[in-house]
Amino acid sequence: MVISETTARQVAGRRWRSSRGVLLVVLALAALALALAALRPGGTAQDLDPTSPSDGGTRALAEILKQRGVRLDVARRAGDAAARATPGGTLVVTRTDRLTPTDLGTLQETTANLVLVTPDRHALESLAPGVRRAEPSFEETDVPGCALPAAVAAGRVEFGQAQTYEVPSGATRCYVGDRFPRLVEIADGGRTVTVLGSAAPLVNRSLAEEGNAALAMNLVGARPHVVWLIPDLPEPGAEGGERSLGDLLPFGVKLFFLELIVAVALAALWRSRRLGPVVAEALPVVVRSAETVEGRSRLYRAHRARDRAAEALRAGARERLVALLGLPRGAAADPEAAPQIVAAVAARTGRDEPFVGEALYGPEPVDDAALVRLTDLLDDLERQVRQS
Amino acid sequence: MALTGRLGLLAGLGALLPLVLPSWWTLLAFWGALLAGVAADLALAGNVRALAYHRSGDTNVRLGERAAVTLTVENRGRRRVKAVLRDVWPPSAGASPRTTRIDVPAGEARRVETALAPTRRGDREAVGVVVRSVGPLGLAARQLSRPAPWRVRVLPAFPSRRHLSGKLAKLRELTGAHVALIRGQGTEFDSLREYVDGDDVRSIDWRATARRRDVVVRTWRPERDRRIYLVLDTGRTSAGRVGDIPRLDCSMDAALLLGALASRAGDRVDLLAYDRRVRARVEGASRTDLLPSMVQAMAPLEPELIESDAAGMVSALLSRVRQRCLVVLLTELNPAAIEEGLLPLLPQLTARHLVMVAAVADPRVGEMAGARGDLAAVYDAAAAERARADRRRLTAELRSFGVEVVDAPPDEIAPALADAYLALKAAGRL
Repeated sequence: MVISETTARQVAGRRWRSSRGVLLVVLALAALALALAALRPGGTAQDLDPTSPSDGGTRALAEILKQRGVRLDVARRAGDAAARATPGGTLVVTRTDRLTPTDLGTLQETTANLVLVTPDRHALESLAPGVRRAEPSFEETDVPGCALPAAVAAGRVEFGQAQTYEVPSGATRCYVGDRFPRLVEIADGGRTVTVLGSAAPLVNRSLAEEGNAALAMNLVGARPHVVWLIPDLPEPGAEGGERSLGDLLPFGVKLFFLELIVAVALAALWRSRRLGPVVAEALPVVVRSAETVEGRSRLYRAHRARDRAAEALRAGARERLVALLGLPRGAAADPEAAPQIVAAVAARTGRDEPFVGEALYGPEPVDDAALVRLTDLLDDLERQVRQS
Repeated sequence: MALTGRLGLLAGLGALLPLVLPSWWTLLAFWGALLAGVAADLALAGNVRALAYHRSGDTNVRLGERAAVTLTVENRGRRRVKAVLRDVWPPSAGASPRTTRIDVPAGEARRVETALAPTRRGDREAVGVVVRSVGPLGLAARQLSRPAPWRVRVLPAFPSRRHLSGKLAKLRELTGAHVALIRGQGTEFDSLREYVDGDDVRSIDWRATARRRDVVVRTWRPERDRRIYLVLDTGRTSAGRVGDIPRLDCSMDAALLLGALASRAGDRVDLLAYDRRVRARVEGASRTDLLPSMVQAMAPLEPELIESDAAGMVSALLSRVRQRCLVVLLTELNPAAIEEGLLPLLPQLTARHLVMVAAVADPRVGEMAGARGDLAAVYDAAAAERARADRRRLTAELRSFGVEVVDAPPDEIAPALADAYLALKAAGRL
């Protein structure tokens, strides 16, 4: 037992040692996947959508604006938004990560005042010149600390986690947490561009917090016409600037892969050249001699041929009994000799004759269990005769 | 020609070059270098065409034993040949080692030993010799495959020869020092000797007794120079495997023991292997030559998957033998084959000859007959009982024609057949 125990432990240890590398890699991959999922910017398709009543939507704001008589147009494409925007109106740009360079160019050419909600780097570059992203701020609420009327009217505002911005001189800096502002207003040509570092003041979930509603109303609803751009995902290839993998790979890498293919081909040639031919040999047929007997057994079983099976078993038993009892050799197969055999067996085993007769010459067993019992009974008779 | 793994590895490493110098010229130059290396290797590798092969060694081996075959490699070229050599044999020849390294200087010869451990009976022919000589850079090799014919005949194992000495001792009881006192058809007068207690009074020679003062008995000995014809059935029934051995191999083993015994007993033994035509025949072999020629004749025999032609076999037999002989038919007690083929022809045979049928019983049937427990086992037992009953009926039918039947499992068939022969001899029935 000691040996088997140590062997089992050794086996387990060996398995652990051989598999721990794989296990480690799998765990590392899982951890990496979790980290990536956590780092991925959250957000659903409905975020900042003025028609969505969900937590991240902005339907509450849209309704309030409507009640106040502000006309709100929702645009799903940049071109659409640029066409609807009126000079002196407001164009709210959300989800800038979905805007292509062309879209940004279109938006740049409009004359409407822009409100950029958490813009990404490209949007900032083209729409809010001079403004650059700084570090994020984790301070939840803040006071305006600036002279911007919209901010002053709103007072304390809840931002949640927000992006802050480095701004050029001459810009209005509001809600400056530690160093950088969360709300920036700059003049770009004849329009004002407002950059808001957090969507929290606009969305349904936190519209009622602090002075959020006031800030939102004042930023978005300051003018009678608002176009709210929430772009759909750009269609693949629509930009025309799409390039295939081949265009992106450096020439050297392409040659690298070509040479690798050549190397694999050479290795294949190396492995495929055998040292001499494969020798074919005619092998003898393998037929088991007992196959016919086994086949017959399966046929009996498939057709539940209890009658034939019982007869074969009884004939075999009679043959052996006749030899044991010293009766003439042909008696086993001779129906005339039946009473003689039954009597002799009954006398030797001490069982009564009808019982022995039933066993040796009886009718077909009624079911499978009876057939098995008959076999056992014949064995018993044979053994008793042998021992008597 | 053959490429090496080193070339593939080098080509793979060369893939790093265009990363450093991304240009077509880098790659082309590298390929040029590889090609030059391959060409140099092919030019400088040993000249495998200049090798000549000669073989020597065993031509016969008994199944289960090992044979050694020597291949002499002669270098007729002007340069030394270093190479890997493979002596190619069929898988069932069990050749080892698979490959050998050779180093043959110009004008000299080297020997390569190949050990064969055959796994089957029959003729094994060498397929050829393959030589691969790798060039000095190890990038490419010259390779050549050429025939180097040799044949090793794998003879039957004859495992039952361990019974031979026991059976010969029994035979001596019948013939030599121990004299048979039974007088029968197949006995001949041996000598007169004094009566001792226990001798059969019927064998007293009264005339000789009258001439002498003592009571004298005649002694007899089994007649010599009887003829025994062994007939191997190589038809479909001989292909069935009993255990893991074809029935034919068991029959051969029994035939060899009987042949060895009978030839020592002074009888003449002939062999015929037949299915639909004569597969092998040994006739008129001298006593010393009998066993080798039987073994040689049996070696290439394979069971044929066709029904044996009993009529053809009987006529092939009857056309050759004139005098009375013992025909030992080594076959299978298969009801269809025997009842339709052999039984109608038996009277022709038994009219002039004594016929003995030897069949190998399958122990698996016995196992199945003893199976108990569940329903499947009981049906197995029933099928086995049925098969045994068929065999018994067939045996009884054959005996009714005066045919001797020996039916034994594979490990007992050879001694059982020898015993049956000795019994016939002792009874003077040959």
